[in-house]
Amino acid sequence: MLYLNIMEKHFYSHLIETSLLSLELGDIDLSKEERIHLGLLIDSNIHSVILDAILSELSEKDKRIFLAHLATNDHNKIWTHLRANIKNIEEKIKKAAESIKQELHRDIKEAKGK
Amino acid sequence: MPSQKPHYRHLRDKWIARHRELQGTLWSKHKDSLGWLGNKSKQLAIGSSLGGLLIFGLPQIQPVSTSNSLTFNEQIAQDIDKSVFLISDLYNVLPKEVRHLTFDEEQKISDIIFRSFSIKATAVLNGKRLNRSYGLIGLEQHLARFPGDNMRSHFDTQEEAKKFWSSGMASGLGAWGYFASSKDKLSEKDKLREKYYIAVQTFLAPGFNENFAKFRDFFKYRKMLVVNPNNGKAVIAVIGDAGPAEFTGKHLGGSPEVMHYLERVDGSLKGPVIYFFIDDPSDTIPLGPIALS
Repeated sequence: MLYLNIMEKHFYSHLIETSLLSLELGDIDLSKEERIHLGLLIDSNIHSVILDAILSELSEKDKRIFLAHLATNDHNKIWTHLRANIKNIEEKIKKAAESIKQELHRDIKEAKGK
Repeated sequence: MPSQKPHYRHLRDKWIARHRELQGTLWSKHKDSLGWLGNKSKQLAIGSSLGGLLIFGLPQIQPVSTSNSLTFNEQIAQDIDKSVFLISDLYNVLPKEVRHLTFDEEQKISDIIFRSFSIKATAVLNGKRLNRSYGLIGLEQHLARFPGDNMRSHFDTQEEAKKFWSSGMASGLGAWGYFASSKDKLSEKDKLREKYYIAVQTFLAPGFNENFAKFRDFFKYRKMLVVNPNNGKAVIAVIGDAGPAEFTGKHLGGSPEVMHYLERVDGSLKGPVIYFFIDDPSDTIPLGPIALS
């Protein structure tokens, strides 16, 4: 998908599989710009859900440490911090992403039916 | 601008709305730490171009245009700057439950509104106030603007009709009667007043029963700023009707156009808005959506 080339690489990108969503969008008649924009919206929806899932697991102090690492985009420090403070963090991120991905799939299906 | 296909518009609108709701949830649940980062970012000058993008990831509202002189990230950063700080500031002042605001809270919100929109909006104007300034908003119907106005004559464009037809038209008139005495006399101003109207509980305003005529004249088409604190969207509307009844559990109502712009819905998912008077004696502030300054 076009949008994948310009999407932000997040610290959790290796855990989240969005190729099915990309394929489904590929079936819809869209311009290049529209496809890119929808791809970015998928990314931002997933991103918000994952941030909420992570922050909900951390204490106030640990939230600030995480956000500080996130602001500087230091993936190593983010993962060290998360693994030290949240049990099964990878699974929790995957689970959070899965729920929003299902909603996005439903939205695409609904749009196709219009 | 490339042509916008219906599938695209459908998904774009849905996903932008969801993104804003998710952001609202994020801020309501983690406002202390996110607020902390906002302040820290400003101090360290890393700001929204980096920190904001990584944290909020809000894509620009319009599709990517190759002719845009701003870089993509700069555009995203601008969008984030403007709404996120408003949302954050309001979260820091508004109570968790939807209740009457204190004088101090109202004053702080006035200050935030002035910083964000460059307009003076207050809960009290000329010594008069409504029963509340923060409450749950429900959906109202279209109002007949002149004798004989109906759903077929109500919309100027097909697009408007498609978007807002389903809300229907109220069987009775608004609190002030028709907006114009006939179709020929319906002005652009009248059209905008009906399009961007709110119904507020004028009958519950302190002093209303004792000074009915004075209060009626004061409230009639009085301009108000209505803000959705969860997404920072705001609209200038007029008081066009009285309601809703107390038993509904709602505190005010918005026209279909107001509700659509604010991304508020009725029913179990109804949410709160801030509604403050605008002092605009010269009538210079236009009705409709207002952008952050």
